Amino acid sequence: MEILRTKDLTKNFGGLCAVDKISFSLYAGEIVGLIGPNGAGKTTLINLLSGFFPPSSGRIVFEEQDVTGFKAHQLNELGVARTFQVVRVFNKLTVLENVLSAQVDRRQMGPWELVRRAILPPRGEHQRYQKECEAAERLLEFVGIAQYRDEPAENLPYALSKRLEIARALATNPTLLLLDEPSSGLNPRELDDQITIIKRINQQGISILIIEHVMKVIMNISHRLIVLQYGEKIAEGLPQEVYSDPQVVEAYLGGDAHAQH
Amino acid sequence: MESSLLLQQIVNGIILGSVYSLIALGLTMIFGVMKISNFAHGDYSMVGAYVAVFLMAWLPGWLGWVGSILAAAAVVGVLGVVTERLVFRPLLTRWTDIDIIMVSIGLFILLENLAHLVFGATPRMLKDPFGGAVFDLGLFSTSQLRVFCLVFSCVAIAVLQLFLNRSRLGVAIRATSQNRFAAQLMGININTVYTLTFSLGAALAGVGGVLYGTLFAISPVMGAIPTQKAFVVTIMGGMGHMRGAILGGFILGVAETLGGNYLSMAYKNAIGFMILILVLLLRPSGLFGRRQ
Amino acid sequence: MDARSWRAIAPWAGLAALVVLPLVLRDRYLVHLLVMAGIFVILSSSWNLLAGYTGQLNLGHAAFYGIGAYTSALLAIKLGISPWLGLVLGGLVAACFGLLLGVPALRLSGPYLAITTIGFAEILRLVAMNWVDLTRGSLGLYGIPPLTPIPLPGGKSLTFTSEVSAYYVILVLCLLSLACCRRLVNSDFGISARSLRDDEMAAASVGIDVNAYKLAIFMLSAFFAGLAGAFFAHYQRLVSPDTLSTAETFTILTMVMLGGLGTLTGPVVGAVVLTFLAEGLRFVEDWVKMDVRLIIYGLLLILTILFMRGGMVGLFDRFRRPAAQPGRE
Repeated sequence: MEILRTKDLTKNFGGLCAVDKISFSLYAGEIVGLIGPNGAGKTTLINLLSGFFPPSSGRIVFEEQDVTGFKAHQLNELGVARTFQVVRVFNKLTVLENVLSAQVDRRQMGPWELVRRAILPPRGEHQRYQKECEAAERLLEFVGIAQYRDEPAENLPYALSKRLEIARALATNPTLLLLDEPSSGLNPRELDDQITIIKRINQQGISILIIEHVMKVIMNISHRLIVLQYGEKIAEGLPQEVYSDPQVVEAYLGGDAHAQH
Repeated sequence: MESSLLLQQIVNGIILGSVYSLIALGLTMIFGVMKISNFAHGDYSMVGAYVAVFLMAWLPGWLGWVGSILAAAAVVGVLGVVTERLVFRPLLTRWTDIDIIMVSIGLFILLENLAHLVFGATPRMLKDPFGGAVFDLGLFSTSQLRVFCLVFSCVAIAVLQLFLNRSRLGVAIRATSQNRFAAQLMGININTVYTLTFSLGAALAGVGGVLYGTLFAISPVMGAIPTQKAFVVTIMGGMGHMRGAILGGFILGVAETLGGNYLSMAYKNAIGFMILILVLLLRPSGLFGRRQ
Repeated sequence: MDARSWRAIAPWAGLAALVVLPLVLRDRYLVHLLVMAGIFVILSSSWNLLAGYTGQLNLGHAAFYGIGAYTSALLAIKLGISPWLGLVLGGLVAACFGLLLGVPALRLSGPYLAITTIGFAEILRLVAMNWVDLTRGSLGLYGIPPLTPIPLPGGKSLTFTSEVSAYYVILVLCLLSLACCRRLVNSDFGISARSLRDDEMAAASVGIDVNAYKLAIFMLSAFFAGLAGAFFAHYQRLVSPDTLSTAETFTILTMVMLGGLGTLTGPVVGAVVLTFLAEGLRFVEDWVKMDVRLIIYGLLLILTILFMRGGMVGLFDRFRRPAAQPGRE
């Protein structure tokens, strides 16, 4: 079943075209790797899909619903969660609170509703809070950082804060998880753990779109690959196919050659 | 008659605007280089104005004028260094916007009330070395003092531009403003640049304060107004943009004078804020800033 | 008794102490100071909601205070509306202005927000100065009726003209607004608010509607300030444009920083300490024949930020448990 489809998705920054008419589909239960040289527009694509920028043109369809131009929080409510290339945890909140922040069901909560709920506690709030805490702790155990639950998140080492970010994203009950370089800056052991976690998330039926540079990770976990260069999609297919595609080889070598200059 | 009155107002606005530009330039420079929003900036102008009050009591006429402008620049420049070292420098490594703004508000309260203690509450006026002589050009007239004020602001702005564009230190300041990290890599001593920028920015406000004192009464509480105007001008021009600040100053000066005369004198001080809110809603990066 | 039962008793003991306090003091002036401290407790706590928990620096908070004061005063003078209703209406009108300022403020941060909010308060102050027909300009509104007596069974009634009675009213208002602040901060609403203070982008990525939260807190913050203002109007029975001045906001933020930004107890401690410190300094001023009060405010603010991050509450926490983690309530 198709859960995400983009049609001619385009993003211009001034004169620069960061994402150029990209169309692709993502199916339920898939892990799709998004690769390409630096500056190919991978992160921009994730930012478009998670609602951080409105696209300049083109459409995004998520679970049969046209979500073009939806804001980040709206997309998250529909089931799109993400992590960031450079870790963005809530530094001053504890590890547990980081996950709790993501867990609240915020459907249809405008400012008025928020004010009302702020002053008059909704019924059964305490029990709900208990349940949320338990669920949050299960997520922390899932990513293996439960022992740090009361530490402020800023005290976590880098590798663990990346996992906290994943736990926080999972707390929003996503059907699609966008991972922006989940393994950057990890040592080989941490990398293996990360791969295990990602695979286990996928086993729960969550589809994943993942940006990755580390070959080992991308070849190991993705079912399909999409290759971007200069904002355009230049290849798509099974990992082995894509890696033998002459255009892709050219892109990477060409990209490297450019970088040498 | 109507058009000559209009012309008269525009000339007055330009003169006022030149002073705003000068004070705002200091603020925008400090913001551009150090990312410090200093809500005590106008108090450097207040101190500068008081330097003029006292020096002019000693040295009459022309000499007093030129002397007090130089002295204001020197005294306030030193005050700038002192406040930067004592108040802002310790925060630079671990600051948040809130900390910086709060500490500058503390400085504002401190300077204003110290001045109150030292100089007393009575407003003072600066003496006119031209004895109130007036230029009458038919269509409009203006006192020679005001013309002097305009000329001097423009000279100071021009000298500053020359310094920033031609001298080594000036280029270092501009480089740091554009990219602090790269500037450091290029071997620029960032601490020197900080101290220099802050002192120069404060000195500009000090000189601006002397000129401001030719137009308005001088009192310990006067600092809040130049601070507000400088922020309005700076944001209008895009924070950190020198040319934006210069143009913004003239625009605000003219808009205030015209608005004060044709709309409402009572709400003259609100005009700047109205413009500010409009600019922020329509072009958040400032009239002359690049769009994000 | 063990520590646990102490902890259960402490709040009630504290409350009892607060109730008995004015009767023990027996000094009208001291009770008056307590009332003023109570007003500032509400003002600084509500400012702290916005600055301390969402990171938005509102330098026009006194405007909400003034709006509440003028609203309730004018309603009572011109329309004869009961001051008790005026308290609520003052808060509501302030909340509407909070929404008005909150909408443009959504797009602003740091110095941009700071100067815009100063401008907002300044414009309103000019209106209060110049709309003489309505506000009597710089003379201010005088002859504002006090809170009306509440009839008691048996033909007697509770009057609210004395300092002691005002003290009990403001005590109730303080407890109400503090309870609300506490709820806000400790509920999942509070966790969301604090998360968007840390990182707005990440907050949006987990489904937090950043704008809705900011607006909600802007309105709540304004409501409490308006409530405090309305109470002040009927207590002091005089409202002048000075209530809207930036200097008033600066006093509030000095209290919060001194007490501890982003904590529940900080603003309370700051407001009480600074109110009484100001009085103490008045004696010092008489003695040295100099106006040193505001100089000390400025110094306190600077020194707090430079050397006492976390304010007095933070200092106390560090003293009590030296190795504890920072940032937990």
